[in-house]
Amino acid sequence: MSAIEVRNLNKTFKTQKKEAGLKGSLKGLFWRETLYKEAVKSVSFSLEEGELVGFLGPNGAGKTTLLKMLSGILYPTSGEAQVLGFTPWQRHRDYQRQFAIVMGQKNQLWWDLPPAESFLLNRDIYGVDHRTFQYTLDEMVELLDLKNLLNIPVRQLSLGQRMKCELVASLLHQPRVLFLDEPTIGLDVISQEKIRSFVKSYNRLKKTTVLLTSHYMQDVEQLCERVLVINHGGIVYDGPLTSLSNRYIDHKIIKIRFAEPQSATAPSNLKGIVEWDKHHALLKIQKKEVAQITHKLLGDFPIEDLSVEEVEVEEVIRRIFEERPDTENF
Amino acid sequence: MGQTLRRYFALYRSFLSHNLKNEMMYRVNFAINVGLDIFFTTVNVIFFAILYGNIETVGGWTFHQTLILVGTVGIVREMAYLTFRKGFLELGEYVRTGNFDVMLTTPMSTASHLAFRHVSLTESLGEGLMGLVLVGYGFSHLDQATWISIPFYVLMLFNSLAIYYGFCLMVSSLVFWLIKSQELNTVIYYFMNTARYPRDIYHGLGKAFFTFLIPSSLIATTPATLLTGKIDAPLMALSLFVAAGLLSLGLFIWTRSLNHYGSASS
Amino acid sequence: MQKYWTVFRVNWQNALQYRGPTAISILGNLLHILVLLYLWNAIYQSEQSLGDYSLSDLITYYILQLLINSMVLSYISWQIGTEIREGSFSNFLIKPVNYLHYWFTINLSGKLFEGLMISVVGLIMAGVLADYITLPDNLTTALHFAFAMILGAILAFEFDFAIGILAFWLVQIDSFKYMLQYGMFFLAGALLPLDLFPMLFQQIAHALPFRFMVYFPIRIFLGKETQPYEGFMIAGLWIVGLYFILQFGLKRGITRYEAAGK
Repeated sequence: MSAIEVRNLNKTFKTQKKEAGLKGSLKGLFWRETLYKEAVKSVSFSLEEGELVGFLGPNGAGKTTLLKMLSGILYPTSGEAQVLGFTPWQRHRDYQRQFAIVMGQKNQLWWDLPPAESFLLNRDIYGVDHRTFQYTLDEMVELLDLKNLLNIPVRQLSLGQRMKCELVASLLHQPRVLFLDEPTIGLDVISQEKIRSFVKSYNRLKKTTVLLTSHYMQDVEQLCERVLVINHGGIVYDGPLTSLSNRYIDHKIIKIRFAEPQSATAPSNLKGIVEWDKHHALLKIQKKEVAQITHKLLGDFPIEDLSVEEVEVEEVIRRIFEERPDTENF
Repeated sequence: MGQTLRRYFALYRSFLSHNLKNEMMYRVNFAINVGLDIFFTTVNVIFFAILYGNIETVGGWTFHQTLILVGTVGIVREMAYLTFRKGFLELGEYVRTGNFDVMLTTPMSTASHLAFRHVSLTESLGEGLMGLVLVGYGFSHLDQATWISIPFYVLMLFNSLAIYYGFCLMVSSLVFWLIKSQELNTVIYYFMNTARYPRDIYHGLGKAFFTFLIPSSLIATTPATLLTGKIDAPLMALSLFVAAGLLSLGLFIWTRSLNHYGSASS
Repeated sequence: MQKYWTVFRVNWQNALQYRGPTAISILGNLLHILVLLYLWNAIYQSEQSLGDYSLSDLITYYILQLLINSMVLSYISWQIGTEIREGSFSNFLIKPVNYLHYWFTINLSGKLFEGLMISVVGLIMAGVLADYITLPDNLTTALHFAFAMILGAILAFEFDFAIGILAFWLVQIDSFKYMLQYGMFFLAGALLPLDLFPMLFQQIAHALPFRFMVYFPIRIFLGKETQPYEGFMIAGLWIVGLYFILQFGLKRGITRYEAAGK
């Protein structure tokens, strides 16, 4: 049985247009034009139990809206979803006891109290028995190396430490499904790395199904074998990260270092030149022409070093997002 | 049913102890809050003292009886802060910061989670204590006070708390449309402030309005009437009826508003 | 001047965005006044009276109080306090704007906006309660009243601004501010006409300038103050005096703010 099953999910928001200027505001007092924004458009996918899948997309693509629907915070306009056999927006208590959502920019820890206190409160809210609670807590404190932080007020913790504690607070009831919305946002590189490795090992250890959104490429690159790329509310790619570039990128990058200085202006008979100076050159070449062009280059120029590289995933993603220009009013 | 009640009672205790620990962090705030409350209650008493300096009775209520009204409002307020008020007061903020979204995902009824989130002993403690003093003082100056009326008084205090909660649910539901909650809180504040005036000042349509639609006239007057020695059974029955009606209506509106939030927020 | 006009306009635009909250806040005020009307009515029904006020005088007093609360009394100190505490005040240090004049404009614009809204409500109320309203019987009284309102609004702003910039010196003053504001309004006659107070309180309230914010204009409106010129002069002196004190205080506050290096 799949842990998450989403079929044809749609979410349309109604917003009111606000006109600029005092005149517009006065008009708005009595009459406002209603606009519709399709935040999520006929999204379908399914996740197997224990999978760790990344949601990739620019800001406003609909990632958070989707996670909120799967958490039961929002109702869809139409469509169906089943998580662990529940329809999330019915907000069934038995469902709520089995999943958790962590939103990177929102904190549920009590600001002035040590994290240990927030943990106790969550224990009571989720009705976790004391022994299980202690065991789970010890385990995670060990994994995240939090032992010395448990009794320091949250406001004195660093952003990274706080995020770790947020994770612990959300995992105390051992959810079977975990939604992570931008868990590494605003963190320094080292903290990001630690959160990542924790999520990875936790997923392996507990077989928890994890759905993660991020606009940091590295999060997804290191954690997820499978990615869902979402843009303008719709899923544009669903599959392994590795085949993403095959599918969307039809070129490779050729880097050259010349053995002796060349003329500063690029030869006009060579196509795909991105950069060119006396010592270096960088070319963007169609995949099927790579062999032929490489051959030609090696014959025509004194070359000390030549490398053929795949386009970076980040670049791939950017390509996908740029492919469909923003035509909406937002 | 019994199990659910026990669970919520345990949850309340857990939230209360967390909030108390939190309040301990700000002992100065605590002192200031109490001082502020005492100041405001004193100004209120001065208001009535000046008023009664010019006249004998208001709607048939003497100065000492009015002090019981003023004190009762203070006690109900403190009871409300101990159970739900502050959470609802902060609803707008929770919605804006997204903390409310987290409340929607926990295995607790959302209204209880919101109510318990910020149960506060100290926020209105000064007014509560002043209220006890005023009620005690007024009670000791009554001509026909009897001790038997005290249990009725306490019972009706809880009934007033229920009315207050129902009204809060109703008005705070608007937060999901307005997002700003400051003005709504002002309305609720006025609701309790005007509860100080005896119900007997109203007549006709106004009486019906302040009984059924905005039942501020029952909050203080019903318990206080009983304490002054008049076992007014119809008034008691009316208050119980209004409390039940308002609670149901409040919960209905609240649930509908949560649905609206789920379909309209982003 | 142009910059202050822009501030004025933008503030109106902002206020118009919140039509829902504005309507609710008016509704709340209205209900509050309604309860008070019942209160006075009950008192006069049992053949009692308050000082030299007739029932219609009192009802007029509180309807005007509603108007004054919107048009005269100032509440900007909350925003000023927040700006100073949270450091966004720094934005003003780099702009060629006088902070006092800036907030005067914001307040003026806000008061006119609220006044416009509340006037509609007030007129409807006055229409419904026509039998209970005491109107001025000549133009001079009306002009005196309008002038007193303007003086009151400026004074109220100055005092509120003073409370606001206290934040330069005191960190957590919200509670203190509540007390100051409430005490000020009480002594201004917002809750009860000042001549109903016991003699000693009356003398204190009379010596203080707060009465020019509420009590004084309403007395004029009710025709109980036919020679208000002395009052105008005293209020005018307070306004000018406070202006210089505020500019001085602001300068000192800024020096302190800069030294703290926020």
